Amino acid sequence: MSLEESTPDTVDTGVTTAEEIEALLGDLVLDRDDHLNAPGFVVRPDQVQDTLFRLRDEAGFDHLSCVTAQEYEDRYESIYHLKKYDDPTDEVSVVVPTPTDNPVSESAEPVYRTAEWHEREAYDLVGIDYDDHPDLRRILLPETWQGHPLSRDYDQDRPQVVPLREHANPLQEDHEGDEDDTMFLNIGPHHPATHGVLHLKTVLDGEQVVDVESDIGYLHRCEEQICQQGTYRYQIMPYPDRWDYISAGLLNEWAYARVAEDLADIEVPEYAQVIRTMGAELCRIAAHMLAVGTFALDVYGDFTAIFMYAVRDREKVQNILEELTGQRLMFNYFRLGGVVWDLPEPREDFFEMIRDFLDDLPEALEEYHDMISANEILQVRTVDTGVLPPEVAKSYGATGPVARGSGVDYDLRRDDPYGYYDELDWNVAVEDGCDNYSRLLVRLREVEESAKIIEQCVDLLEDWPEDERTIQSNVPRTIRPDDDTEIYRAVEGAKGELGIYVRADGTEKPARFKIRSPCFSNLQTLPEMSNGEYIPDLIASLGSLDIVLGEVDR
Amino acid sequence: MDGVFLQSGTPTGTANATANATANASAGGPIATLPETISGVLGLSGTLGDVVGGLLGAFLIANIMLGMTALAGPWAKRKITAAFTDRIAVNRIGPFGLLIIVADAVRLLSKELIVPEGVDRPAWDLAPIILPFSALLGFAVIPLGSGLQLADPETGIVFAFAAASIASLSLVMAGYASNNKYSLLGALRSIAQNLAYEIPLVVTAASVIIFAGTFQTSEIVAAQTETLVSLGGVSIPSWYAFVNPFAFVLFVAANLAEIGRNPFDIPEAPTEIVAGYQTEYSSVYFVLFYLGEFIHIFLGGALIAVLFLGGPAGPVLPGFVWMIIKMWAFFLFTQWARSAVPRVRIDQLIEMGWKGMLVLSFANLVLTAILVGVIA
Repeated sequence: MSLEESTPDTVDTGVTTAEEIEALLGDLVLDRDDHLNAPGFVVRPDQVQDTLFRLRDEAGFDHLSCVTAQEYEDRYESIYHLKKYDDPTDEVSVVVPTPTDNPVSESAEPVYRTAEWHEREAYDLVGIDYDDHPDLRRILLPETWQGHPLSRDYDQDRPQVVPLREHANPLQEDHEGDEDDTMFLNIGPHHPATHGVLHLKTVLDGEQVVDVESDIGYLHRCEEQICQQGTYRYQIMPYPDRWDYISAGLLNEWAYARVAEDLADIEVPEYAQVIRTMGAELCRIAAHMLAVGTFALDVYGDFTAIFMYAVRDREKVQNILEELTGQRLMFNYFRLGGVVWDLPEPREDFFEMIRDFLDDLPEALEEYHDMISANEILQVRTVDTGVLPPEVAKSYGATGPVARGSGVDYDLRRDDPYGYYDELDWNVAVEDGCDNYSRLLVRLREVEESAKIIEQCVDLLEDWPEDERTIQSNVPRTIRPDDDTEIYRAVEGAKGELGIYVRADGTEKPARFKIRSPCFSNLQTLPEMSNGEYIPDLIASLGSLDIVLGEVDR
Repeated sequence: MDGVFLQSGTPTGTANATANATANASAGGPIATLPETISGVLGLSGTLGDVVGGLLGAFLIANIMLGMTALAGPWAKRKITAAFTDRIAVNRIGPFGLLIIVADAVRLLSKELIVPEGVDRPAWDLAPIILPFSALLGFAVIPLGSGLQLADPETGIVFAFAAASIASLSLVMAGYASNNKYSLLGALRSIAQNLAYEIPLVVTAASVIIFAGTFQTSEIVAAQTETLVSLGGVSIPSWYAFVNPFAFVLFVAANLAEIGRNPFDIPEAPTEIVAGYQTEYSSVYFVLFYLGEFIHIFLGGALIAVLFLGGPAGPVLPGFVWMIIKMWAFFLFTQWARSAVPRVRIDQLIEMGWKGMLVLSFANLVLTAILVGVIA
């Protein structure tokens, strides 16, 4: 007990045990509600900030990975999934139950900035009120929506009327104050550079951005609800492909595979793990190629060679993935306990195909560096613009290339190993620039690292003895995890930490399925990056975040 | 001066009749302008001859320019960009996909002309007309070679710059009248940009004028026919691009900004402010803007050719062909820049204009003046 308290504000690299946390929190803890991945502590709704402050400042839990809200028969519950950026295996869940008739809980926003959006989503979909929240509005659904779709008493058949008055006078908000010469500008939802249907409410002072607010939810597809209606074994598995549809398919599938396998205690054969690792890294290259290409499009401003070159290389990856999975976009290749089929025959040709691609890749990357990162105008445009300091990035729960471009050395593939990553020799790409340029560099370097991983996987697969090529373990036809088992698991997607929380209720379908989208958290950093910058830099910053609206809005 | 150099080679195509006429007319004095030639051929004289010759000449030149634009806009631009980005581009309709020009023209013109609510009507309608008009006006004084020059006033080059500058007015009208914030931003950007770059542009041109000692475009061209050096029997003409390459580079860069092409396409900036001043325009008005932009590119190319590349001068081929080649070379350059160079930010552009180009162009002007003063 005294050990933790005597060293405040230090980040303890060692794992904090559940007992230590319990001792640290002392009488704040009402009860224990352990999850499969982490110890869970039940706290009072009015002591959320105390608890989280203590965990952040004295135990080093600086990463609010996700906020899950759900309604039980007798109560609402908010779960704060905490991690450490230094060691994401060190997790703790803070469970905050609130009564059904008065679901008011203290907001975590003063502790973790990222809680703002997460709690808005919880309010929007589940209906929990957060006290002390700076801006508790709906986030995914229209402002005028009636009811909270994930609450138990939600009436699906109730007609929803979205009146047009919202659009009555778009000029009304033009002026921030009476004396300011500011202009309100809607960027999106239809705009060449918003990468989908994103609406940025921007206040401009001349060409400079005074304030920007993201309005999301245009592509909300009830992904969590759809997953809650699917069976663990078969019906959920193809769906993650659709979350982030920028060919990050296998990475997404892995997120679900990992959480379901840990939940149902399913082993994955080593051979399948190697195939998964290889496939996932191919997807990462494809996703990063598109990210780099569109970023160049945003900065260059016109249809340039870089975009075509990036798509050309992405096409090669997609051909490989097509050989492997039979699909180019929605792969549906993973199964619980392995993958659906073995590598295509003849295997030599397939390996040859991958090796050809890997052989050409250094030259292609050299080309990108020549055209993009070595270009002086591009450097003038991107260096020191869209600055995201590491502390801010952490506070917003930024992960993936966005965090690594801000010097936060955080990669779940290494820090929370899964698949075959810990057996392979590769590095985590980190850049300290914190600007748009660093995020671009991180992506280009990650492609190199992915290539290294793929090469090692191919070597392994080539030499794999024929009689040990098990692609799937024995998995029961129907999976029914025990009632009230809860788990939160994340993998390193192309955009960052893609996490899934699942609560089982003893049936073959999840009772609560919550997706932690990396883009959702990363997009939250946009105002920090672009306030005070010029419009072109806002666009560049948005491009450097590499968001996919399908994943942001879920 | 005599017009011998300008008429080297065989006249071809559309220029056939006029070039022959020019050869006759120019036998004993300064070359005749196109209207004079036409009225001479038709046997008209006096005011009637001036009017008919002027109208027919203008009609001819404008159609040549519009024809080039039609080729450049829907077809060449796509082909060139495709070549830079490893693609094939239009190749389905007609030989080399050339009939896409017809298809696109029909498509664009048959679209609905959407007039947004609250636009400032006369200004909104006039803007798309002024843009191509201003560029075509500039061609009035450009010697296109083979006798194709509408007018040759003593202040020719000044007139060309003045006419080209009217484009800014059109962009501002379009941006302001569109009742759209993106358009407004585009218009404001274009004013800032044109202010920052027109001064270096004109000042750099002034250094050429110091060399040539005249504003008259035909005289500037003629001044470049003298031999600069002879290398193994091949005489290099004293084109101002060779005489003062520094001014040439400055002028080309400033010209890119002036006509709003990459990396200075900031008034449009498709990824940032949608389409800038032309966001709200569709159908015919959009076509007019599109035309205007391309004619401006060609006018930019023509000005570069006249001031720095000896105008229509060149070996073997007729002057008119050389002029077209030089204008297309500049067009190719703009498309190359478009495919390869990132767009600078508006504040960086302004800074480059006022702190960089302006200083350099004045340094160039002063140095040129001193040199010419000392040598001459």
